[in-house]
Formats: sequence, structure tokens, C-alpha cells
Amino acid sequence: MTAANLIRGLPEARRNEAAALFRARGVPHRRIEDWKYTDLRAALGEAGVGAVVAQWLVANLPAGVEMFDLSQANPPEWVSAHLGHATGNVMSAASLALSAGGVALRVPKGMAIADPLKLDFTGTGHVRALLVLEESASLTLVESAAVSEFRNAGLEIVLGENAGLDHVRLSPADAEAVLVEEVNVRLAANARYRAHYAAFGGKLSRMEVEIALEGAGAQAHLSGVSVLDGKRHSDVTTHVTHAAGNTRSTQLFKHVAAGQARAVYQGKVTVAKGANGSDSNQSAKALLLGENAEADLKPELEIFADDVKCAHGAAVGDLDAESLFYLRARGIPEAEARGLLLHAFLEDAVAEIADTDQRELVRVELLTALKAIA
Amino acid sequence: MLEIKNLHVSVGDKPILKGLTLSIQPGQVHAIMGPNGSGKSTLSYVLAGRAGYDITEGSITYNGEDLTALAPEERAAKGVFLAMQYPVEIPGVTTMTFLKTALNSQRRARGESDLDAIGVLKLVRAKAKTLNVSEEMLKRALNVGFSGGEKKRLEILQMAIFEPKLAILDETDSGLDIDALRLVAEGVNTLRDPARAMLVITHYQRLLDYIVPDRIHVLARGRIVAEGGKELALELEARGYEHILKDVA
Repeated sequence: MTAANLIRGLPEARRNEAAALFRARGVPHRRIEDWKYTDLRAALGEAGVGAVVAQWLVANLPAGVEMFDLSQANPPEWVSAHLGHATGNVMSAASLALSAGGVALRVPKGMAIADPLKLDFTGTGHVRALLVLEESASLTLVESAAVSEFRNAGLEIVLGENAGLDHVRLSPADAEAVLVEEVNVRLAANARYRAHYAAFGGKLSRMEVEIALEGAGAQAHLSGVSVLDGKRHSDVTTHVTHAAGNTRSTQLFKHVAAGQARAVYQGKVTVAKGANGSDSNQSAKALLLGENAEADLKPELEIFADDVKCAHGAAVGDLDAESLFYLRARGIPEAEARGLLLHAFLEDAVAEIADTDQRELVRVELLTALKAIA
Repeated sequence: MLEIKNLHVSVGDKPILKGLTLSIQPGQVHAIMGPNGSGKSTLSYVLAGRAGYDITEGSITYNGEDLTALAPEERAAKGVFLAMQYPVEIPGVTTMTFLKTALNSQRRARGESDLDAIGVLKLVRAKAKTLNVSEEMLKRALNVGFSGGEKKRLEILQMAIFEPKLAILDETDSGLDIDALRLVAEGVNTLRDPARAMLVITHYQRLLDYIVPDRIHVLARGRIVAEGGKELALELEARGYEHILKDVA
């Protein structure tokens, strides 16, 4: 690894720290508790994570958003200040240590960007992105993560006071693709992060989301759907930390798995000492179509504060036979009735998407995926 | 129109209907009365084609065709409608979307063209008005958060929209107060038609004060044990089921 092959704007100490972490832990596998349902080492086989560099594309940069190519030297101060803060996440450390490129984006203070910013990760290998919204700035980020082989993307998001980000992620992937992505979000007081992750799985797909509600009044609202068939696998693992008082988080994840597919949701909510008055709600549900489909739903709570309101729940089931009969008795053919019920099952999670265009886009993708399995 | 002959139906290993025979002609309204556990709901579900009911003997013929060979959706398209005792709640599907999908599914199965969104809306609105079903109800998820009366009104609204040839009303009076009952009964009465047959299934005589049947059948222990005109309902009300069951025992 030569210096020219690394992100030039990343402070040396941060890169060394990340490289050391990845060297110490290696590629995660199923004997590590957090990766029990998602054996990355087995999926990658002998090839391992490699040192190839994936690409990124911002097709139309909305006016007002600043962009910096991470493969270039002399980054602006806001890039050096925020890029590559260690999180202890091993795959995030890998993308930081092994990426040679990526992109940094900034919305300046007070600026509300109306057009969505479209960020696409492409190709095989490691890639890194940083998004900074300064105080009272707002943006909709639309991420498309189509992948055919292996990719590990690390996305860092920093939200200043009162900033608001809507994030919609669609990840169409080949059945043989291995896709890992880490989203790390830090929120200052009264900042708001609303995200929807629509997943269609791959040979292995892992979405790892770490949210730090660092300022009082900060909010994170996560939702997601997955529609999986064949031998596809999709894992969404979240860790939301309420580090300050009066912070709020909600999570609503819905999965449909057919064939021999496997849907995984692991969600941990930590309410730190002193984060009083915090409110969190977690819900994960899965519908299994067929005996060989599997869902592993694991919501977890750790509370070290007083006067908090936390709820969590998980449920796995089959399509409701009563509902199916009711629709058929009204003349709706079985396949269409099943499709309608599956769509209805996912709908409340899709309805969480604030942007109407993006919501419709996700609906269309879901309909296509559901048609294939209903 | 509907000929049921010597019908035996089991659920699991348990026989529920044990030799039921019944015939209904177009334009007629028949009532089936019976105590709890007599097999009333089993009969309605078997007619609509719900899974889990095994016909071990006998036949059901509908307009000359073996009804039991048809899937539920095929029966609906051919004009069989069951107003259910417990309409299901389906979150995530709005009432209007459901009505449109069901109506057009039935039309397609009959080789008719789809009604467009505006056509459906017009039709639904016109029928909804007389049944006191509000615009707001049509926008809500199907039956979710509806009161008992609202659910039953929506069942009758569907009957008005789909215009079935054979309508089966399963305990449509259960859970309704007197005002709601009257509204529902009026809705049903306006749908009486020389070409339409109705089978009204109920435990109580009360509903039959408002929907006056041509013929009453008493169902007990899986068989029709007594038959008569509308005056039979009054006798049942006055003397109870036990009296009749004793007579036929």
C-alpha cells in the first residue's frame, strides 16, 4: 500500500488507528456475536476484502452544495475536521483504511436544498463518503447502491444544530453480490435524521447504521423494507445512542422473505446516563413465505438514564389466512390478493418516506419485487 | 338458483353439517335461524368457498353448476356474495382501493372492461350516500377502526356495488343497535330484486322484523329441522329453540 493509494485528506493518525483496528479484528464472521447471522468471511471466501477501490458518482450536484473529491490533495478544513472519526466498527475501519477515493459534500449554514442530491456508489471495492450539513441546513440524499460483486462503502454524516437530512437508500443487487455499508450519523442539538433503507438483498447484504444523538432534542427516524427471494440475504443492524436529553428515535422495519431467503434485523438502542426524557420506539416485523425462509429479528435496549420512554417489539408470521379469504371472496384472484396484502404489510414503513417522489419510486421497486414472489 | 342437497361438511374430523337440503329461487329471501353451534356460519363459509371445510357428502349446485368446484374469487365473479359476520381489518389497503380492485377483478373475470378511477368513485359515492357511509370512511384503511355498525354498513355497501345474484348475510344483525339495524335492513331491502336471491342467517327473530323473508328454515345439529313462512320466526321468538328441537327429536 503506497501513500498515493490512500485518501490524501485523511489525517495520518486516523488512518493508522483504522488500519490497526481492521488488522486486529480481520473480516467479521459468524462466531462474532454481532455477525452471527451474517458470515462475511464465508461469503467473501479466499478473496477477502481486497484492496480495490470502488467508484462514486454525483450526477447532478444541486446548486449550493459543495463537493470535494477525496482522492485530491489539500482538502478544505471541514473535510479534515470531520472525515474518519473512529467508531470501533471494523468494516468502517476497513473502508477508511483501504479506500483511495470517495467524496465529501457540504451544505453551508442555513441553506435549504430543494432538489435531492443523488449519490451513487459503483464498481467493486472500498469507497468512502462524508456529508456535512451545517447549522439549520437541510437536504434530501438519495443513495443508489447497485452492486454486482463486492463493495464496502462507508458513509459518514454530520448534522449541525437544527439541520435536517432525509436519506433514502435503494440497493438493487445481483444475487451473487456481497454488499456492506456503514452509515454513521452524528447529530447536534435539534438536528433531525430521517432515513429509509429499501433492501433487495444479495449473496450477503449488511447495512450497519450507527446513530449518535449527541445534542439535546435531536431526532432519528429510521424505517426500511426488504423483499427477498431465492437465497438472498439482507441484514440491517442499527445502534442508536441517546447521548443527550429529550432525544427521540423511532425504527420501523418490515421484511418479506420467500424461498430460502433470510432477513436479519438487529437493533440496539442505548440511552446513556443523563439522557433523561428520551423517547425511543423500535418495531421489526417479518412475513415468511414458505418453510425455508428465515427471519432473525433482535431488538435490544440498554437504559442508563431516568424518566425515559422506550418500547420495542418484533414479530414473525405468515400472510393472514382470514384476510386472504376475505379479499378472494370479494373476487380478487389469489395471486393479486397476496400481492395486495404483502404491499399493505410494507406500506406503513414506506409511508415514512417524506419525499413523495422518492416514496413512489420505492413503491414501484417493491411492486416489481413482490410480483416476482407473490 | 341454489340447490343444496344432503350436504355433509366436516371441520377437521368433526362433522358440522349432517345432511342439509335447501333450495332457493331467484327473487326469494330465505332465512336460516338456529341456535349457536348449529352450523349456520359453516354453511355460509362453505357457500363462499373458505378453506378448511370438507364436503364429505352431498352437493351444492348454483345456476346448474357445481359451486364447490369454484375458487372463492370465481364464485364472487359469478355473483355469490357473503356479507360476513366479522369483516376483517386490513391495514395498509384503503377502503376505496379495495372496492376498486374487487369490482374490477369481478368485471374482468366476466369479460367486462375495467371501470376507471372516476367511474368507480361515482358508483361508490352514489351507493355510499344511501347507506350513510362517509367519504372519510372510504379513505381509511379497510375496516380499521370502524365501529361494528360501520363494518356492517360497509358489507351492505359492497353488496350494493357488486350487485350479486345470490347474497348470503351471515349474522348481519350481530352487534348492531336498533338504529344501525334499521339502516342496514333498509339497505338490504332496497336490493331485493326479482333476479336476486338472498339467504339471511340469524340467531334472532329481530332482524326478520325488518327483512321479511319468504321462507324460514330452522337449522339445528347440522340439519334443517323445521320450515315455514315468516310466522315461524314469531313462534321461535315466543317459545324458543328448545321447544322446536324437542318436537323433532
